[in-house]
Amino acid sequence: MNLLGISCFYHDSAASLLKDGKIAAAVQEERFSREKNTSAFPINAVNYCVQAGGISFEDLDAVVFHEKPFLKFARVVSEHIRSYPFSFTNFMRTMPHWLSDRLSLPIILEKEIGYTGKIFFVKHHLSHAAAAFLASPFDEAAIMTVDGVGEWATATVGKGAGGKVEIFGELRYPDSLGLLYTAVTSYLGFEANGGEGKVMGLAGYGEPVYLDKFREIVKIAEDGSFKLDESYFGFNRASRMFSRKFLRTFGPARRREREIEKRHEDIAASLQIFLEEVLLKMAVFVRNKTGCRRLCAAGGVFLNCVANARILAEAGFEDIFVQPASGDSGGALGAALYADNVLYGEPRRYEMEHAYLGPEFSRSEIYRALVNNDIAYEELPEEEIIRRTAAALSEGKIAGWFRGRTELGPRALGNRSILADPTDPAMKDILNRKIKHREPFRPFAPSVLEEEAEDYFELKVRSPFMLLAPRVKKEKKNTIPAVTHVDGTARVQTVSRRTNPSYWRLIDRFRSVKGVPMLLNTSFNLRGEPIVNSPHDAVSCFRSSGLDLLVMGDFIAEKR
Amino acid sequence: MFQDRKICKRCVMPESKPDIRLNEEGVCNLCLEYEKNKGRQKKQRPPLESDLTALLKKYRTKGEYDCLVMCSGGKDSTAALYFMKKRYKLNPLAFTFDNGFETEEALENARSASEKLGADHLLFKTDKMKKMFADAVKRHPEVVLCHLCSIWYMDLTFRMAERFDIPVIVAGWTRGQSTERAGVAEYRYGKDRREFTGMGEATRRFLKEYTRENPGYRDFPKSIEEVIKKARKRHRTVEISPHWFLPYSEEEYTDLITKELGWKAPENSYPAKSTNCGLNFLSVYNSMKHYGYTHYHVEMSKMIRAGLMTRDEALESLAINFDKELLNFWAAKLGHRFEEI
Repeated sequence: MNLLGISCFYHDSAASLLKDGKIAAAVQEERFSREKNTSAFPINAVNYCVQAGGISFEDLDAVVFHEKPFLKFARVVSEHIRSYPFSFTNFMRTMPHWLSDRLSLPIILEKEIGYTGKIFFVKHHLSHAAAAFLASPFDEAAIMTVDGVGEWATATVGKGAGGKVEIFGELRYPDSLGLLYTAVTSYLGFEANGGEGKVMGLAGYGEPVYLDKFREIVKIAEDGSFKLDESYFGFNRASRMFSRKFLRTFGPARRREREIEKRHEDIAASLQIFLEEVLLKMAVFVRNKTGCRRLCAAGGVFLNCVANARILAEAGFEDIFVQPASGDSGGALGAALYADNVLYGEPRRYEMEHAYLGPEFSRSEIYRALVNNDIAYEELPEEEIIRRTAAALSEGKIAGWFRGRTELGPRALGNRSILADPTDPAMKDILNRKIKHREPFRPFAPSVLEEEAEDYFELKVRSPFMLLAPRVKKEKKNTIPAVTHVDGTARVQTVSRRTNPSYWRLIDRFRSVKGVPMLLNTSFNLRGEPIVNSPHDAVSCFRSSGLDLLVMGDFIAEKR
Repeated sequence: MFQDRKICKRCVMPESKPDIRLNEEGVCNLCLEYEKNKGRQKKQRPPLESDLTALLKKYRTKGEYDCLVMCSGGKDSTAALYFMKKRYKLNPLAFTFDNGFETEEALENARSASEKLGADHLLFKTDKMKKMFADAVKRHPEVVLCHLCSIWYMDLTFRMAERFDIPVIVAGWTRGQSTERAGVAEYRYGKDRREFTGMGEATRRFLKEYTRENPGYRDFPKSIEEVIKKARKRHRTVEISPHWFLPYSEEEYTDLITKELGWKAPENSYPAKSTNCGLNFLSVYNSMKHYGYTHYHVEMSKMIRAGLMTRDEALESLAINFDKELLNFWAAKLGHRFEEI
């Protein structure tokens, strides 16, 4: 059976193909269209998934959409009416989108891909829940999903067992942790739906002096449910997501690219701690209610690796699986899994051991990109590529590492990564100056050999998707300064020899040169751009940035 | 065999004044124009397979055949037939046209592919063009024989589509052969394209005079534009190639048809690893002599600019790999002999 999962029309469009119960391909549309977090119908991603799955459009048994558009539309209309007249501008702006595409998926599918077959619509949070549990290695687990908003739900708790996913509690709009985080993100001068990670990074610098304010604005119950005081926000307004009352409480909003004050850091820190408090309560509640020892989580909020680490450490779970594509892109994957395991009742046959589900490129495609762009290169056996790259990295050089299939989700996990030496205290600044141009307060992450992670981090489980931020062991902090955040944590990716052998061997080789079993790993892109997808994208990035080295497949190019 | 000409440093087009000129850095005006337009043009996404499936669905009728596949037995057209039948599960009518110069191995490839795929196969073989070809080779070597032939076989193809009420014509045109608006299927030689100006003018001039002077060819179309215009009035079709939409490389689909259909690569071909009729060798020879390039150079240059091929790959493929004997073997069939080679 071939099921095509689709998520789109809000942000982070993606497609996935489930072939006989296993994910054959999944990728975000932004990787092709080069428009970050695009909400467009994922036409390129759909084409890729069908082709990568070795099937044709004729072979699709069903298309599964990650939410129920009419339910969502009902919420949007009723909430705009409730917020009238403040919502008028926003209403006028969004309605054309609803009427032209969001409500007419069958028409869009026929027009875009000539598909007229069966279509399923799975509720937004059920898609997240399915992406979390049905892709996890667990037979039974508690489930939490938390994001901005789906149809009505903003967070759900439930349980997964075998091929079943049950949701037994939900919070509804406007009580939303995701929207709260996004509102504060935009208040702090970062882009909504994209800049949330920056707030998490900034939080490490501040003190939670505003924690009580957040507790005042959002009343939390013991089970983790909460009531948000709407007078502080304006989610339906076109101009901004926060109200004058919010400004009176926290002071004037920061304008983009303006200086960051201590107040901003403290607000970020308070929000982060508050978020963790709520999630912890929810997690404890769902653990008690289900009696499960493992937790599966998805939804954009779970990209917060600091909160995830705290849940793992304090909520009483033995293990946690956080869907690597926790944002809406994972909805495409979850919806397809839900249709297969729940609607069709097929047994579970998939475990998401890695996120390498996107396009890969042949030798000749890489070769042509290099030659046609006049890049001097050498083609070498893999062993030599690894040896040369590790040597260059240990000399302080920065490498673009492009091998195998693109990762699903927002993290580069060693196939579309920029790599550097984590032991160099100056590396963060060098990277920012030469390539990434990120805000200086944002940390870089380490990719560590799975077998050696415990020696460096307070981490008892694997973290293959860079979604846990454990504390760096005290005695190691000075060894890996470039990947240790100011608060003493690190956004760790544990690298498995089985799922990414060449990346594992590169790190292992680096260890033999430098004595540290890890590399600094940041996504292969320039600021504001999506992660590179094709060899052509990688070459463009290599040419226009301060990268010293480009490795693509078995080709290596070095700037002299 | 041919005089060496300066070749563009980026593509494989030689200097061929007045249409193709190289600047001081050795880059041709076609590449420079491409570069200039690339920045100006609104970014369009490349054609995708879903565009093809949507198109096939749109044009699907209740007729007996879903599409007419122009299958010469070459790798590109055999793969096109394979995709229509296997990938899109259509009922194609394979149409092979033999101008009297097709090789046995090419015809066998077309026959065997149709049989293995269970597709009906129509073979049209005629010597009707022989006199025109012979006269062109002997007296008008500037005329591109392939252009004459394609005007004729496209006319025939349209008539076959009309005869069997088929709405979609499928060919094995590569991305290098397609027009800029791939998918819309404007099948033109592009008289407005500089690289075809000289060739196009020579063909038009020849046809105009020749059909006037030879009553047997009076009804012969004067240009591809005329063919299309008349065909549109009679019967509505869309003309497409799956290769415009699919991501598979030439190597991939050649492997596929070799494994699945037992397709055999030709012993002699130009460019390398391609199947073409015997007349192609004569056409290539004359084009090289008169213009310094062939339509294959134009196609491959376009592929290089699009990043689908490297210059070295194209140069290797375009190296003249046939000799005087082979050339004269085919020329003899037209009562001609190239003495001065």
